[in-house]
Amino acid sequence: MTTLSYSVAIILMTMGLWAMLSKKNLIKKLMGLAIFQTGIILFFISMGAKEGATIPILDHHGYGGIYSDDYANPLTQILMLTAIVVGVATLGLGLALARKIYAHYGSFNEDDILANLREPNE
Amino acid sequence: MIINMVLVGLVAFGTTVTHGGPLHSVFNALVGVLLIAGLLFFLSTCVGILRFPDFYTRLNAAGKGDTLSTILMLVACALMVITSAHHVDRTVVLSAIKIIMIVNFIFIGSPTATHALLEAAHWSEIKPWKRNDPPC
Amino acid sequence: MLIAIEVGLLILVPCVAFVALWLRDLMSAVIVLGAYSFLMCLVWTGMGAVDVAFTEAAVGAGVSTVFFIAVLFNTTRNITFNPLDVSSKLVALVACLGFGYVLLQGVSDLPDWGDPYSPVNAGVSTYYIENAYADTHVPNLVTTVLADYRSVDTMLETTVVLIALLGIFMILKKDRPAQSDSSDTQAHDSLIIRLSARFIAPFIQLFGLYVVAHGHHSPGGGFQGGVILGTGLILMAMSMGMASAKRLLSIPRMIILAAVGVLIYAGWGAVPLVYNGYFLDYSVWESVFGSMARSHSMLIVEIGVALTVMCGMYGIYMSLVSDGGMQEGL
Repeated sequence: MTTLSYSVAIILMTMGLWAMLSKKNLIKKLMGLAIFQTGIILFFISMGAKEGATIPILDHHGYGGIYSDDYANPLTQILMLTAIVVGVATLGLGLALARKIYAHYGSFNEDDILANLREPNE
Repeated sequence: MIINMVLVGLVAFGTTVTHGGPLHSVFNALVGVLLIAGLLFFLSTCVGILRFPDFYTRLNAAGKGDTLSTILMLVACALMVITSAHHVDRTVVLSAIKIIMIVNFIFIGSPTATHALLEAAHWSEIKPWKRNDPPC
Repeated sequence: MLIAIEVGLLILVPCVAFVALWLRDLMSAVIVLGAYSFLMCLVWTGMGAVDVAFTEAAVGAGVSTVFFIAVLFNTTRNITFNPLDVSSKLVALVACLGFGYVLLQGVSDLPDWGDPYSPVNAGVSTYYIENAYADTHVPNLVTTVLADYRSVDTMLETTVVLIALLGIFMILKKDRPAQSDSSDTQAHDSLIIRLSARFIAPFIQLFGLYVVAHGHHSPGGGFQGGVILGTGLILMAMSMGMASAKRLLSIPRMIILAAVGVLIYAGWGAVPLVYNGYFLDYSVWESVFGSMARSHSMLIVEIGVALTVMCGMYGIYMSLVSDGGMQEGL
């Protein structure tokens, strides 16, 4: 478990990067971006996890003392919470751009778009 | 509606059962039976989706089996919240009621989603499978 | 036992991600990506991050799948193949493998998983956990840090959603929207779907409001509640047609509401400046609300976030599905 969650995060990041670099389809590139993002979120969340700790919501309004070992780290969680929402907004922006490109060139494929760019009369 | 009444009655009855009494073990057995039945129906749904020949029959398996098994397991969860609590208070009953609300929404939502998928398939003119056709 | 489930999920997750990238039909790939998001929710719940899992279930698995499908519905789901350009793919593969290798070398230097005394878990987060309830009377620590201690961060993230909404409107805007008759958009109309959507939508909105208001005591808050409210509107737009959805919430009204959300946030934060406080320092409201000043201020700020996120999700969906014209859609 110690290295597994970090390794899975890195594998996901590598997979997303590979999809963004080598896939020709714009939608597949955006999916690679989403997978890269979840990899980073997984990394942050596993950094903030504590063994034997519960969720960061206080029981019984904190009677009987609050010890930081008992609750998972809220800081990494809120950073990632806002990152998810902003991620979907930027994903929508990327999809809008892809939609516009499709309306112009009739394809999601990078090579077709490049060929159309070079010969605009076609 | 009838299902709701039965469920609310079960939960209300469950709150009166004392911890460790004979009725308590009956309730625990009921939870186990419901959970296992739900899992069995889920298994048959999976088998159906994989083995049926065309889109319509597969959706039949998915729509029916999925709804029933989810509802069975959620009812088991609602009863388990009640029976496993050491002392029944407002929050415990509230959790059980929330789970019953989820049962209602799944009861409406899941068949509607199946219906939407079926209509989409009908518009895009997918032919139903006939006997002697090769499975697709 | 829980650790075993967690390990199984962590092994399953990269496999599902690979399948999503490998499938040659875009629609299937999007659905598999939704399943991947749900698996990620389970992983995060196992690590104690319920708020993040809730957000991912609403956003990653729900709304972003809808966005993808909205785009694919208007374009194509097929992937065209050109003669393989092996050299560039090889370069990309080598670069990615090198990147992964270098990062994996660093894993052994990281602190152990679940170590409560690692540098991340020491420091400021200890202060947050131990003093948040005394400061603000809010049991949900994530909400406290989100809307009080790191409030400026959240305000700017909300602004990002607003800017993304405006950007999408500008990218997809048509100078003169084509006048299509609304009769053919109603052709594929099903009574069952319309009625059950009309029955469920108010409950979805009610649940969204509950999530916003109850975010102080349970997982939830402005972002999740806003996404759920937006989902209710998207459901109405899907089932009743674009025309009635536009009657519900037109584009100018949508932009104004989204801006009002940010304005509520920033305005509530700016009032303390008048009373010699810091920006977003809610303690000056103690003369009005007493000891619950910070708690109530958080609720108001979260309502602003929910407004912006609701209009953001709904507006992005409407633009994507109708190609900017807002005339017809799914």
